[in-house]
Amino acid sequence: MSAPLVDIAGLRFAYPGAAGPALDGLDLRVAEGEAVALVGPNGSGKSTLARLLAGLAVPDGAERATVCGHDLLDAAGRLAARRDVGVLFQDPENQLVAEDVEADVAFGLENLAWPPERIRARVEEMLAAFGLGGLRERAPHLLSGGQKQRTALAGVLAIPRRVLVLDEPTAMLDAGGRDEVLAAVRQVRAEGLATVFVTQEMREVGLADRVVALERGVAVFSGAPRELFADLGLVTRLQLGVPPAAEVVLALRRAQAPGRDREATAGEAAERLPLTLDELLAALAEAAL
Amino acid sequence: MTAHLPQAAGMRLSCRGLTVAYEEAGRPIPALSDVGFDVAPGASVALLGSTGAGKSTLLQTLKGLLEPEGGDVVLDGLAATDEGFVALRREVGLVFQRPELQLFAGSAREDVAFGPRRLGWAADEVAAAVDAALELVGLPAADFGERHPYALSGGEQRRLALAGVLAMRPRLLLLDEPFVSLDPAARRALVVVLRRLVDGGTTLLLATHDVDAAWGLCGERLVLDEGRLVAAGPWAFGAGGEEAFAGHGLEPPFLVELWRRLGRPVAEAPRSAAAAAEALR
Repeated sequence: MSAPLVDIAGLRFAYPGAAGPALDGLDLRVAEGEAVALVGPNGSGKSTLARLLAGLAVPDGAERATVCGHDLLDAAGRLAARRDVGVLFQDPENQLVAEDVEADVAFGLENLAWPPERIRARVEEMLAAFGLGGLRERAPHLLSGGQKQRTALAGVLAIPRRVLVLDEPTAMLDAGGRDEVLAAVRQVRAEGLATVFVTQEMREVGLADRVVALERGVAVFSGAPRELFADLGLVTRLQLGVPPAAEVVLALRRAQAPGRDREATAGEAAERLPLTLDELLAALAEAAL
Repeated sequence: MTAHLPQAAGMRLSCRGLTVAYEEAGRPIPALSDVGFDVAPGASVALLGSTGAGKSTLLQTLKGLLEPEGGDVVLDGLAATDEGFVALRREVGLVFQRPELQLFAGSAREDVAFGPRRLGWAADEVAAAVDAALELVGLPAADFGERHPYALSGGEQRRLALAGVLAMRPRLLLLDEPFVSLDPAARRALVVVLRRLVDGGTTLLLATHDVDAAWGLCGERLVLDEGRLVAAGPWAFGAGGEEAFAGHGLEPPFLVELWRRLGRPVAEAPRSAAAAAEALR
């Protein structure tokens, strides 16, 4: 088995003047082609970790911190990491820089001084891959939120990457835009890129192979999405919330056994909670038999 | 003990033929076209629509930050040319998207006091309004009043910014995507605050992508698509769910979809997981 693409142990980072560290001995490993969802309350360190992974901030220290074999603890390693790690941020309004979609997708390659012929070919490839061919001459401010994020993603991935970091890429989008971006991310995954996906949307967590939960700058859970939602004690402590389908089942349990408090519910850790509407319907049908 | 803002009755809001355009390289780009609707005092209304549909433009026009090319905003029966309209508009509160980016004072109390002071209120009246607003958003002054805004969590900052608007005792509250980038716990806390306002009789217009939150909080909805109003009034369901949503980049609320799939009448779809459980048990 090859070494993990992201291999981090004991990573520490504090913002200047902050009362406490943002990352306080964080461990994270991501294998080639793996999709990892990062969850946790506001302020738990998710976005800080995303920036560090991309070589955009300087760690205070770590036992080990490599991304694609580059050491994040030294400047040359961080610079190299920036080449291999692409980042898509939350706000579709401030990630596009050029006058139209085509120029925006080409922007990163031009900065890397690729020969014009190769840039043209690569841009065509990305426009086709993200369904942007018809929008190539559109100015960024005339795009919908979903189109903006797809354009930004095409630009990020025009440079061949090995890891893609997404920091709540759908938070500011409507349902249509969210579906567009998630479809693009699924496609990226299918091509075998390792992805690290920060999200607050519990219904998006199911897309990941593995979910890592952060609490005060430390990874406190790593496992399959279903295992996370089965551990209601942890979900409650991290104030994560559960997908709406699971919420209905939890409310049903409370309605059927009034007086049971949260501690009692946490004891049912092994019980399966439905994560989607289809799973909820199946669970309700089963209960009715 | 809970402090209460003296609750004035909610404001009545009407729009007639509202048209707003942005100028772009010399050409007008329509943002709102002939938008008209009525909102009763104390109603809570979701403002839905895709990114770019005109939701923020509508809210800013209602507050008077954008001047419409045509049409009228009517508050409690008064139009812009009527005497008393300016005073009414002061009772319209607008909470921008990501309002926490506009926190600036050295303490939570000072930040919330800014608006009421600018209205020229007496010092003791300002102090009372600040305490009541902080209490209402779940950041009681005794615990949070002297904290620096930047020392609060993201969700607390969002509620602090809301308190800054509530301290001015709005009778019509306009909220632009209040749930964006809040974690689920912070979202729940904000929903509790908004429900308190609705129960207290404030008229609420809530622009959001979160259809499930809108379904839980709002009795009615307005749907905008490319600057045109395509639905207004109470949520209306045909046999297929929310008809007005189809083709407007929106999906029906989860609980409505659940009811439809269960073959139950969608008109009776529950507003909360607890209500769903009550009906299903």
